[in-house]
Amino acid sequence: MGNSFARNRLNIYTKLITVEASAQESHPHLRPKPRPKQAILAKIFHWANIIALLLMITSGLQIYNANPVFGGRAGWHFPDLVILGGWLGGGRHFHFAAMWLFGLNLLWYGIYVFVTKRWERRFFGRVDRKSLLTGQNQKRKNYALHRLVYTLIIPVLLLALLSGFGMYKPVQFHWIVDLFGSWQALRIVHFISVPIILIFSLGHSLLGLKVGGKSLTESMFW
Amino acid sequence: MSDHLSDPLIKVPQNRLLVRRRFLQIAGLSGLSLVTGGCASSLLDDVVNKTFEPLNQSVETLMFNPAKLAPEFPQSSIEPDALLINTFKDTPVIDREQFRLQINGEVANPIDLSLSQIQALPYTSMTIRHICVEGWSAIVQWAGVRLPEILKMAKPNANVRYVYFQSADGYYESWDLASAMHPQTLMAYEKNGQPLSIDNGAPLRLAAPIKLGYKQSKWVTEITLASELLPTKGYWEDRGYEWYGGL
Repeated sequence: MGNSFARNRLNIYTKLITVEASAQESHPHLRPKPRPKQAILAKIFHWANIIALLLMITSGLQIYNANPVFGGRAGWHFPDLVILGGWLGGGRHFHFAAMWLFGLNLLWYGIYVFVTKRWERRFFGRVDRKSLLTGQNQKRKNYALHRLVYTLIIPVLLLALLSGFGMYKPVQFHWIVDLFGSWQALRIVHFISVPIILIFSLGHSLLGLKVGGKSLTESMFW
Repeated sequence: MSDHLSDPLIKVPQNRLLVRRRFLQIAGLSGLSLVTGGCASSLLDDVVNKTFEPLNQSVETLMFNPAKLAPEFPQSSIEPDALLINTFKDTPVIDREQFRLQINGEVANPIDLSLSQIQALPYTSMTIRHICVEGWSAIVQWAGVRLPEILKMAKPNANVRYVYFQSADGYYESWDLASAMHPQTLMAYEKNGQPLSIDNGAPLRLAAPIKLGYKQSKWVTEITLASELLPTKGYWEDRGYEWYGGL
């Protein structure tokens, strides 16, 4: 029985190889190893999120410079190279324009992830937890760790959105300010999301490369 | 791009491609710094502002609940040193005896009030969070008379939608009527239990928790009600700050 199973598998493999070989003959530009496929909607979210975050962070640091969260006017200021807008008013224009891209992009992606149950398949789950805690396979563990990292960034992005909204409308939605305790606490949380997101991006990129190599990274972009 | 790299039909030496790639990266970076720092920035800033500000303003107006009160704080939470003093020019000299607040424009009963007349009107005190466009905040106690109290005395016409404020130092502002009629919008003459200091806008200033600090004119001498917004909307607004500035 075991034999026939093995023979069947072998047959399937042989067929696959034949198909692939003939595909290569008729289309010589086809790669023998196709890179991992990503859902087009996931790619669109990923791109829009990167652009939105770049705009939100650079314009946000411009606003930060008007009165640094740490140290006030005498505090350390960010250099011109990393800030967007030219002045406080300009920084606010970019920030309150890009917030639409950032917020709406997260919203539709959230709906998409739940409706298609992508949440269960493509994010950190019970199996990943088990492999991280008790697994022996290092490759599987890296894979689980990578899934944990990119799953954890979602609450950070939502926290940045919530704390930002609390600062934008502290009277109409004063429960958000109350939730964080004080205005200064709200400012700190909103600001701290920047280094967290930057560290995450680095970790996500490196782990992505480790788990799937260049082809996985490229599959997420092009 | 990566497709071309691996495409054997396009024969480009690998090192030349890398040079091209490097060039594009550098070009992209210098382009970015041009956008973030150079004059392209103010041009783009203008486009972004003109595109999104009308949208933001209508959403903000929609979110504003004229009946919702901003949270008030106990006296003990006042932060006396947190309220920074921002002035666009210099501090005006105002004779308290000569001072008159004029209320005019599209009203049935234009009036002017002396300080003692204003202080005879119902007294309101509130301890609220004052928030500056720069990001800082201060818990401040303001006291004075509710602006709607004064506006009603002038009997505004039914078509009035905006309120202009002229200050003794040349500063000017304009508000939407709904925000001016909010019960926590005061013409204040007291701060933190003391008569208002000249640096904070004495004898009379706007104070409200529902607008950013730059909307809250100091040294107000004239209030004009209008049905249309003029091309000049406010000192900082005419230099690029958002007009609505609502919290």
